[in-house]
Amino acid sequence: MTPARTLAARPGGTLLTAAALLIGVGGLLLAALTLPTPGEGTPPDARAWLAGILALLAVGAFGVRGAAQGESRAARTLPAAFTLLLAVLGTEALLRAYAVPAGLIPTPGRVLSALWTARSVLLQDTYTTFVLEALLGFLAGTVLGLALALLVVRFRFLERGLLPYAALFSSIPIVALAPVIVKAVGLDWPSKTVVVAVTVLFPVVVGAVRGLQSASRLHLDLMHTYAATPTQTFRDVRVPGALPFVFGALKVASTLALISAIVAEFFGTNGHGLGFRIQIEVGRFGLDVVWAAIVLASIAGIAFFALVSAAEARLLPRRS
Amino acid sequence: MTYTNPSPQVSPTLGEPPIVSIRDLQKVFPVPGGETVALKDANLSIQRGEFISLIGPSGCGKTTLLRLMADLEQPTGGELLIAGRPADEARRERQYGYVFQAPALMEWRTVLKNVLLPLEVMNVPGDRVARAREMLKLVGLEKFERNYPWQLSGGMQQRVSIARALAFDPPLLFMDEPFGALDEITREHLNLELLRLWRETGKTVIFVTHSIPEAVFLSTRVVVMTARPGRIEGVVDIDLPHPRSDDTREDPRFFTLATEIRELLKKGHA
Amino acid sequence: MTALRPSRVAGLGPMLIVALIAAALYWPLMLAANVGPAGRTLASGAELDCRTALACASQLRNPVVPAPAQLAQGFVRLSTPVTSPLALPYNVGVTAGETLLGLLLATVTGIGLALLLVASQAFERATLPWLVASQTVPVVAIAPMLAVLLGQYGVQGFLPKAIIAAYIAFFPVAVGMSRGLRSADPLHLDLMRTYHASSAQTYRLLRFPASLPHLFTALKVAVTSALVGSIVAEISTISFSGLGKMLAENSRASDTVALWVIMGYGAVLGVTLVALVNALERWVTPWSRR
Repeated sequence: MTPARTLAARPGGTLLTAAALLIGVGGLLLAALTLPTPGEGTPPDARAWLAGILALLAVGAFGVRGAAQGESRAARTLPAAFTLLLAVLGTEALLRAYAVPAGLIPTPGRVLSALWTARSVLLQDTYTTFVLEALLGFLAGTVLGLALALLVVRFRFLERGLLPYAALFSSIPIVALAPVIVKAVGLDWPSKTVVVAVTVLFPVVVGAVRGLQSASRLHLDLMHTYAATPTQTFRDVRVPGALPFVFGALKVASTLALISAIVAEFFGTNGHGLGFRIQIEVGRFGLDVVWAAIVLASIAGIAFFALVSAAEARLLPRRS
Repeated sequence: MTYTNPSPQVSPTLGEPPIVSIRDLQKVFPVPGGETVALKDANLSIQRGEFISLIGPSGCGKTTLLRLMADLEQPTGGELLIAGRPADEARRERQYGYVFQAPALMEWRTVLKNVLLPLEVMNVPGDRVARAREMLKLVGLEKFERNYPWQLSGGMQQRVSIARALAFDPPLLFMDEPFGALDEITREHLNLELLRLWRETGKTVIFVTHSIPEAVFLSTRVVVMTARPGRIEGVVDIDLPHPRSDDTREDPRFFTLATEIRELLKKGHA
Repeated sequence: MTALRPSRVAGLGPMLIVALIAAALYWPLMLAANVGPAGRTLASGAELDCRTALACASQLRNPVVPAPAQLAQGFVRLSTPVTSPLALPYNVGVTAGETLLGLLLATVTGIGLALLLVASQAFERATLPWLVASQTVPVVAIAPMLAVLLGQYGVQGFLPKAIIAAYIAFFPVAVGMSRGLRSADPLHLDLMRTYHASSAQTYRLLRFPASLPHLFTALKVAVTSALVGSIVAEISTISFSGLGKMLAENSRASDTVALWVIMGYGAVLGVTLVALVNALERWVTPWSRR
């Protein structure tokens, strides 16, 4: 640990790091370009290629390690970026070296081109899964969950009678719930929206109730000494105290929303949606399209999470 | 102020080296846009068997000084010798036990196992359980060895933490405001207990506090520190007779000494 | 999510009343949902033992919402004989086994990864952003493809489902465990330093026990994910047993009653697995106040 740190601290160390990264990335890129695409000829001597690719990856990893030293902005962001780059290029080169058929694992390059050629279908699928199903269901589930949480906090009876069920329900696997709802509501997208709403509902209720009840005794007593109305106490003490909990639950729910939309699509659609696309293309061994759909689903998932986090950052006072 | 040794059981032979020796010690912390001088030009020499209190307002560097002695921080200047060695060497030779402001017991260990912890880490030979039990007996908690920390009151937890610090029989005991979070009654009771422990074990105690009565009651000498920058304002000999009891707190001399310390603290504040 | 456990006996009264209300509401809801399809079935002139749409609503072959009697019949039909490989109890057992094996794999991998993350800053900076991002990625989407891939390499039967379950479940474990390993009290770290404890001792005596609450919080999330993973894996591979296989079969056959019964079993399995993790937590962390 110490030698690497002192190494990077010297200008020569920085040079060495840059060289290692350049050799790793450049070498892998070169290897990927030199090797034939799987299915268009067999490369000679896969084992030698393997050794070469592994060596390049090791050099690259050494570079990443060098780049991670110190506290600069670059030291925080560059390692992750280069890791992705090395992983993608390494996969491409390895798959080409061993001529792995595209029906088994498509190369990243192939996935990228599938992303482009099938873009209109995939974008339509993303719109269905992300906007119509996940986002709408998320909103419906959140609104319903918050309303339910208010009721639960207002009536002690519901807290004891309903809340335990909410906690219980959140450990039910969505996959068991989805087919029933899809059968009951129909094959069009609203059935998936309902599945998403149901899965989002329970964590939101539990989180919001816990948040609303988290108000400190001292603050409540303080409001009492001001002779504040219940509405004022609610608005000035309970709601601000609940927000961090609610956002914690919403972040969990945003991930759940997309997962349940995709899983629900496995049980019947009218021909749209990323989950449908994945299942149908797996059956036809069109794995490049499958991976393209997964890439889009990942981007949607990260965007969704980022959206909730951004809303949190706006609404919550920054603590530092 | 002349140095007199008021502790009845300690008779330092002339020429015996001090157990703690501090010369021109300095600690500077980097902060955004500059630096904070936490401790400046500290000089202090502590003899074996003494009970030294470090007293001062928050930010005077008393905890920093203790952490420097414990090698939990490294000085930026000056010299620091613990039992004749540099602080890091003394730590590696396990020369001291440390009691924090919070009991810092491990909640997954029973009371007995908490006291056993240092013995396990240091691989102390012999019957460790017997040794830990003996320590618990010393602090009067032998009946609670199977309990978990949360089942004990704050004062009891702090007593366990003292037993833990004494378990491996280090010559030095460092205590960082150990009773600061306790109520006055509990604190006075534990003060008496601590004096008894000190007499029975013959340890050298270095004790950080911000309570003047506590410092006067416990110590053989009180080191008065002031803030911005943290430095030693003066050292007051506490010539109250031993053994001390609740009556000691009524002694006119007790008030004179307390006033003397208060004046020193004010002088540094001005 | 599951931290709000029902308080023992005192909480059971309201829970029961709510359950009764839900049961009472079920009947009219069921009729309302089924009356439309029942009317259409009648109009099509199918042979039924009833005259009006309302009377037929509880006797449809593929109801939107099954009637209690139909559910009871379906439950008996699908649960007996209890030991049969075609009945639900056996298939629930298969899925539970896959899930637990998957969880075990996920725990081992997750803890290993967490140790690497905590030990090496370079490793953390290189991979943590992707680990966090992967939490927001619908990993289930990869399951069907992973199933094909594993099948191609001859990994078949029980194992691929467990591997897929593990693949979905190990991220929360890794993230939770690395958070846990870092959660050690600074005072405790100082204490270990005053003891001149070795790094291995600090891990064994301090960091690892301190991380257990975080680990179990993660495991409760992970076990549900693993269950979803193994069911999805069963659906998307050629399977001969398991809840997922039964779901897929009955979904294709549009046997709604069966789907409801399977959902019930799935719910019970999910709740049981979480309860199992809770029990394990209480056993492993006896010092916990609760």
